[in-house]
Amino acid sequence: MIELKDLTKKYGNLVAVDNMNLTIPTGEIFGFIGPNGAGKTPTINMIGGILAPTSGTVMICGVNMETYPEKAKSKIGFIPERPYLYEKLTGMEFLKFIADLYGMGEDIFLIKSREKLEMFFLADWSDDLIESYSHGMKQRLVMAAALVHDPEVIIVDEPMVGLDPLAIKMVKNLFQHLAKEGVTIFMSTHTLKVAEDICDRIGIIHKGSLIATGTPEDLKRNVNEIDADLEQVFIRLTEE
Amino acid sequence: MKDIITLLKPRIYSFKGKGFSKNNKGGLFKLLLFGTIGLLFWGGIFAVSLRVLCYFKEIAELGDILAHKLLSMVLLTFLFLLVFSSILTSLSKLYLSRDLSLVHSMPVPSYKVFIARWIESTVDSSWMVIVYTLPVFISYGIVYQTGLLFYINIVMTLLSLSIIASGISSVLVITAVNFLPANRIRSIFIFFGLCFFLVLFFAFRFLRPERLVDPETFGTALVYLKALKTPAPPYLPSTWAFDSMKALLYGNITEGMFHIALSWSFSGVMVFMVIIIAEAIYFKGLSKTRTAQVRLFNYRSSNRLFLKFLSRPVRAFTVKEVRTFFRDQTQWSQLFLIAALVVIYVYNFNVLPIEKAPIKTVYFQNLLSFLNMGLAGFVLTAITARFAYPAVSTEKEAFWLVKSVPIPLKNYLWIKFIIYYLPLLILTEILIVATNILLKVTPFMMGLSITNIFFMVPGVVAMGIGLGAAYPDFKSENPAQTVTSFGGLLFMMVCAGYIGAVIVIEAGPVYNLFMAGIKETGLSVFEWIWTIGSFAIVFIINILAIVLPMRFGERKLSKVLI
Repeated sequence: MIELKDLTKKYGNLVAVDNMNLTIPTGEIFGFIGPNGAGKTPTINMIGGILAPTSGTVMICGVNMETYPEKAKSKIGFIPERPYLYEKLTGMEFLKFIADLYGMGEDIFLIKSREKLEMFFLADWSDDLIESYSHGMKQRLVMAAALVHDPEVIIVDEPMVGLDPLAIKMVKNLFQHLAKEGVTIFMSTHTLKVAEDICDRIGIIHKGSLIATGTPEDLKRNVNEIDADLEQVFIRLTEE
Repeated sequence: MKDIITLLKPRIYSFKGKGFSKNNKGGLFKLLLFGTIGLLFWGGIFAVSLRVLCYFKEIAELGDILAHKLLSMVLLTFLFLLVFSSILTSLSKLYLSRDLSLVHSMPVPSYKVFIARWIESTVDSSWMVIVYTLPVFISYGIVYQTGLLFYINIVMTLLSLSIIASGISSVLVITAVNFLPANRIRSIFIFFGLCFFLVLFFAFRFLRPERLVDPETFGTALVYLKALKTPAPPYLPSTWAFDSMKALLYGNITEGMFHIALSWSFSGVMVFMVIIIAEAIYFKGLSKTRTAQVRLFNYRSSNRLFLKFLSRPVRAFTVKEVRTFFRDQTQWSQLFLIAALVVIYVYNFNVLPIEKAPIKTVYFQNLLSFLNMGLAGFVLTAITARFAYPAVSTEKEAFWLVKSVPIPLKNYLWIKFIIYYLPLLILTEILIVATNILLKVTPFMMGLSITNIFFMVPGVVAMGIGLGAAYPDFKSENPAQTVTSFGGLLFMMVCAGYIGAVIVIEAGPVYNLFMAGIKETGLSVFEWIWTIGSFAIVFIINILAIVLPMRFGERKLSKVLI
């Protein structure tokens, strides 16, 4: 479960995120969409504990991110938009590094790491240096690392960028499967089709404010266009 | 030509934007700071050159030979420095820059891209060498009272040599990239460059030039001076430069013009050759560097049993740090450099002519040992600046991982501290013990040195980690270079102040204790109070040197935006 209360982020005079309030219940896939520069990445970074808010609170499964950052972070699997990794480690070494930081036991790690590497088609490359991976492989490795410790919440920024169609299908299925098992997923994306396909609810952010939330049908009703697709709804809501 | 100028414009605009922005107050401060340091350094070279040449001038007959030999050596070194610097710069500019994909996607022939890059590379690799060798040549003009033509000739000569050096380097690089990956070539060149430098240094040290002032070995010096008259190889561009400058030193304008014309005609040939070769093979080589790296061998993870005693996060960061360090080929040359630095440092103590010192040997040995604590501290600072200071920046853009994992930043910085503290402590203690053994110091001095270093190392390392965290550069392609930034400079200055303060505060009490030991007398009450007070102050400074920078670094790093 994710709760944002009066979440605000300011950079000098610029208000990147303005007083955001949002609750995402356990097991929900929440799609977060908005134009470029709307405040998606600062919001995601604040939820992931990477960025401190100017004011407001982030609660992860009832744990306050500001008061208990380590406890809150241990419940999260964070997947950034750009997969910057330690290029001189192998895929397996990278997973081990992450597992150690999350305090995973050796036996569980061996089982989980193999499982994730196979799931993301990386088993054959696990002993190769990350610098030799393609962009898509790095993106899949980041996903494997985010899932290796069985997080209760997944924060993901543009999950499908750089993935091939097979991997996109696999990730979509995986997210739906995880949500059924009680994992909460907060997903920022520009791929509206993906959001429409797998998200239970969608939030639209514009100029730092959450201007609409609801199921795709709710959003269509909001703009009085039941037959419109999400792209048309998005344009109607965010146009000046 | 228009295309080439257009390709150079981003560089010109970014330079303008960097230097003349009205809102860039921090930048102006840095510019002033670095400018002042640069100017002082320039002035220092000028003063030393002038002093040396004036001294040579006073020696009849021999003085001119020495001055000519020095000029010839400076020009030869200048040429080699330029070639070496040019190789590294042109490799980056021509094959490794991030914007190469963008410029090569433009509808411009690849040879024009090459020319634009080559011009940039020539300027970047030579401007600093030119600026800092200029005072040496100007000194010649002043001492030999030459006319304006000599100074114009200096500029013309240096420009010509820069073009030649850059041309030679580019031909070497373009050819080599067709056989080896560009990254590996850079490591190889750095490695061989260091080897070359060290061989030169050791050759010089083994000659023991200090013996030249000893009358007993004067026979050897005469043989050496005879060798000074040996002419330089006529096919070297530095020889044409030397002949031209030497001719103008004595007002032989025609001869001077002939040699400078020779140099410029060769520069023209070099430019012509470089363009022809580049047109033939540059793009082919570039395409090779763009392909994926070959899977040479698999890296199997070891079971790391020897690190089992560490907690999981500490172990994770330690293993990551060690692996990334040793797998990065650019680091190997740095390790080699450190090993050489240690050997040179210890060797210099070995050849010190202590027995010929005019003051009592025991006193002199122990005085050197005391000052050696400061010197070892400075060596430690240099090594810390290279390894511990960039430790946070080496996370590069993967720093998001550090912020997203459930480890407090404070712990992360302390883990970094421990990783670098232990090897640096061992290294510095080895340095201090080895040099003290060579100096044959008293047990008191040995104990004092070991204890002092034991307490100073954590302070210097904490400053490195803390200030490195306060001023990180996650975007840098080579984080080791962050030490040349404002934060790096601040680290150096704070460390120098810290080491200096410790040495100055301890100097008085250590002298009293040492002399009391020699004279076998006790200390007075005042001396006891002074001694205890001084050591207490040093202890407090040591603690503050650890705690304050680490806190400062943690506070600043927590505010860094990714």
